[in-house]
Amino acid sequence: MKSKKIPVSDMDYVEYYALKLKENNKLFSQHKKFIESQYKGSSTLFRNSYGKGEEFKKNARTYLKSMKLI
Amino acid sequence: MNKGYTLIDGTIILNRELNDLDLFVKDFLDVLKKYSSYLVVSGYVSISSGRTRGTEDVDVLVEVFDKKLFEKLFYDLEKNNFWCYQSDDFEEVYDYVREMKSIRFARKNEMFPNIEFILVDESKKAKYFEFTHPQKIRVKDFEFLIPPIEFEILYKEIVLGGDKDLADAKHLRLFYSEILEGNKFNEYKKIIIGEIKNEIEKNTRI
Repeated sequence: MKSKKIPVSDMDYVEYYALKLKENNKLFSQHKKFIESQYKGSSTLFRNSYGKGEEFKKNARTYLKSMKLI
Repeated sequence: MNKGYTLIDGTIILNRELNDLDLFVKDFLDVLKKYSSYLVVSGYVSISSGRTRGTEDVDVLVEVFDKKLFEKLFYDLEKNNFWCYQSDDFEEVYDYVREMKSIRFARKNEMFPNIEFILVDESKKAKYFEFTHPQKIRVKDFEFLIPPIEFEILYKEIVLGGDKDLADAKHLRLFYSEILEGNKFNEYKKIIIGEIKNEIEKNTRI
């Protein structure tokens, strides 16, 4: 192992994880779970709130305009 | 146990499975590639390289579009289950493109993640440099283009500089440490700093 420093700060964990991942691609399975969990969470939240099809777009654009995002 | 990536004939091969975010980006690029060259930049470069954090958008640089070609792309994206935040009316959306303002696309009935479609031309020197010096990267059968890793790291450290960006840069520096080249850092740093100086001069004149 190249680094024996015990991670303390967020940046220490970034370092620890990057060095481990470089040598061991099995850690990518945890990465996949995390990314897909976040992806599904954000998709579901807005689908449930705004409906489907034209209704979804109308509601989404109202929200985006209110946030000055479009 | 295998390494996280390998470099074969100049292409970075990530030794992992595709995830849902990759498939979203792949579906979008499969349409875009028919009409334009592109470059995927920023957060998705780090995330696809193993950084474990969420993202709402995927930034894609695209060269300024001819109206007829953009119309074809716009309706092809619609046919392929994407919607544009700005409007369903191609003419309205093209006004953004003409003014080089970003537009966003997401899958129908979804808000996030979205693709931020960022227009570039030669006047944006740093962005145009990375756009014209792409690095190939592959996950399974999904091959796409990103900036040179050294450029991406420096851009995050020097231009963006937020906590999230610095963490991304650190991840990239360590994960890709075996393939990074010191002389490229020196070359790219000059380009990025040159662009910052230009922006400052432009703003001072205004």
